[in-house]
Amino acid sequence: MAKKLTTEEILKMSRANKADQSDTAPAEPAAGAAAPAEDSAPAKEPAKPAAAPKGAADIMAAIRAKGAGGAEASSGKPEAKPAAAAAPKSPADIMAAIRGKGAGAAPAAAKPAAKKATAEASAGNLPPVGEMLAQLKAGKKPAAVEAPAKPTLKLPTRPAPKVAPQPTRRAFLLDVLLSPFALAWTVLAATTGAWVLMLARFMFPNMIVEPPTSFKIGPPSDFPLGTVSTKYTAANGIWIVHTNQYKGKDLIYVLASVCTHLGCTPSWLEGEQKFKCPCHGSGFYINGMNFEGPAPRPLERVGVALSSDGTLEVDKSVKFQEEKGQWEDAKSFVDGSIA
Amino acid sequence: MSLDPHPNLTSSVIFGLGWLYLIQFVMNFAWTWRSLKKGTHHRVPKFFGGGEVPVAMWWGMYTALLSMVMIAHFTGFSSPERFLIQLPGWFKFFVDSFIADAKWYFGFCVGAFGLMIWFRRVLATETAGWLMLNGGVLFLTLSLTDWDFRQIVGKPDNVPIVAMLFIVGYFTWLYFNRSNENDDRIEAGLPPKEAEDNEKVLVWPDLVYTELICMIAVTAFLFFWGVALQAPLEEPASAVKTPNPSKAPWYFLGLQEMLVYYDPWLAGVVFPSVILGGMMAIPYIDFNKRGNGYYTFNERKFAVSVFMFGFLPLWVGMIVLGTFLRGPNWNIFGIYEYWDVHKLEALNNVNLSEYFWLYGLNTAMPTPASTDSGMRILGMILLRESPGILLTLGYLIAMPSIMAMTFLKQYAFRMGFIRFMVFSNLILMMAALPIKMLLRWAFNLKYLVAVPEYFFNI
Repeated sequence: MAKKLTTEEILKMSRANKADQSDTAPAEPAAGAAAPAEDSAPAKEPAKPAAAPKGAADIMAAIRAKGAGGAEASSGKPEAKPAAAAAPKSPADIMAAIRGKGAGAAPAAAKPAAKKATAEASAGNLPPVGEMLAQLKAGKKPAAVEAPAKPTLKLPTRPAPKVAPQPTRRAFLLDVLLSPFALAWTVLAATTGAWVLMLARFMFPNMIVEPPTSFKIGPPSDFPLGTVSTKYTAANGIWIVHTNQYKGKDLIYVLASVCTHLGCTPSWLEGEQKFKCPCHGSGFYINGMNFEGPAPRPLERVGVALSSDGTLEVDKSVKFQEEKGQWEDAKSFVDGSIA
Repeated sequence: MSLDPHPNLTSSVIFGLGWLYLIQFVMNFAWTWRSLKKGTHHRVPKFFGGGEVPVAMWWGMYTALLSMVMIAHFTGFSSPERFLIQLPGWFKFFVDSFIADAKWYFGFCVGAFGLMIWFRRVLATETAGWLMLNGGVLFLTLSLTDWDFRQIVGKPDNVPIVAMLFIVGYFTWLYFNRSNENDDRIEAGLPPKEAEDNEKVLVWPDLVYTELICMIAVTAFLFFWGVALQAPLEEPASAVKTPNPSKAPWYFLGLQEMLVYYDPWLAGVVFPSVILGGMMAIPYIDFNKRGNGYYTFNERKFAVSVFMFGFLPLWVGMIVLGTFLRGPNWNIFGIYEYWDVHKLEALNNVNLSEYFWLYGLNTAMPTPASTDSGMRILGMILLRESPGILLTLGYLIAMPSIMAMTFLKQYAFRMGFIRFMVFSNLILMMAALPIKMLLRWAFNLKYLVAVPEYFFNI
């Protein structure tokens, strides 16, 4: 039986080869591994194809053994070379061996499953390459290939389907439902269904619906002078400011709670009388003017007006920017004296 | 039971610190053992007798001290009010009063960076490395006796940053350690160490096995982390509610810090693109063929120093600033300072144009009248911002020539015009961040060029 070559051993072989290119000293592991394989291949052939390849290493070993055998067979003098020399040493050698085997054993060598045929082929009853080629040219198949019985691929025989003498309708239904195909399709359908349901759920995200842009915030008296109301900040993103610190006029106006730097929501700090942004430290006075941090512009006003019922009505759909002079627009404020 | 809502020490804290001291004890025990095996001795001064003592003796003494401190923690945790081993108040005050000031913090970062390069021969030895590691762990352990420090450092978000500091420190040390060795060899006319030890290994199995083992180890570590530390989840996001302070992911805190000094389009778009593009350009700019495939400092002094300056003080340093020092309202707090939402910091910032027209020339700023045409408005804005525009253009146009004529003469000569222009502009862009930071701290300068009308600020 061929010794199982591990990847490491193969690597060691090739390294050892590289080390002594002189080729005089036989590489022991190679010889030891390859020689028995050569011997045993023809000898054990009729017994059984027990040497089913177990791994890449086995396959490699088999190919090599075969290569050596095939080469010898084709050359016609088995004892001409020492085993060590026949053992593949370098990639070039391996290629040569494979080629030699290809000539001798090509039709059968490909599949490790067809071990039997391979073994027979390598037993040495193959004509030389030239002959085979000549035969092929002449339109015949190589005789040697036909000689061995075609390897039959031994599949594990499937147990004969249970044919109940009188299959009841119920049993038949159960058989169908529990068959692997039915199960697989059921699982697939269930998965896909769950996925579709999740997709449907995804279309209704867990979010707060945008409130209307125009809404009433109560009478002006709710907002006494010098105050900032944060009542509507969380829901609507606005501050209602009543101050006389913008150009000395007593005004009620509504600021959007969006920092003009990068859009975070600043917090109104009552003690410091300023809006302060938690993201990059921008600060705004009560009148909305930027004075600290990186914010380049004052906060933006939104529209505000006194509605017919005496309450203030905010219109968030319009914006007023101070640096563009839009704070002069009458829609951006309400006279504070009515409060 | 203490009534202090923010107690510096509690039973569980003392017990946990005992474990930290245990780790340090084991670390130093092993180090003492190593030192004993090496058997190095040193001579004590004449005053103490002048004999020779093994170095391991000192390590042994430190290890013994650690063991005693550890035992004190494991036995004395039941009465935290009477527990004495904690950071003294004067130390906290001293550290806070420096570190809570961005000027001092950044100055400290740059200074430490300079000292690191200057004293690389001393600092990159094994003993110095061990001393620094010990110092770092001991500082962390002692600082954990402070309530405020624990709040910041103990956050699950911040655990990777603490780990990162040690990892960055280790790899920097490793770089200098290897470089010193190679620099010595090169000076002695020998090839670098990497040239000797160049045995090639196979991808399979050597590399693939190593990768597989690393993959499994990292996965196991992440599982452990995911189980041990809870994800720092917050309330559902809302467009009108911003947490205070609101922090970017830790690896972007350098960018967030940049946003404090620059306009969003610069700090959020232009500079990150320049950083990425500039890093890709490095191989094409670099003409120095030495230092390829081996550690060295002396052969690539300029390249290594510039890169490290960009990475250590400007990137890692800003991450630390953003993580540990930036608190509510994006104010700077000391590491032992309470995060007070109402901390007042005067940051009254002024644009350069205001400095120039209002304070310098004592006149009104050029303001377009409401009846002006578009072109005239643009002209007035350009006139208003002309000092900043001229300064910026001068910086970007004149500085490369000045650099090429003075301290980068050799570089300009070797690189040729286009390469040198790319190179010098990248350097200038990198320098722009510390320059703007200094201007902000020194003069409360908000923007050099402020055109809020068109969202253009520099």
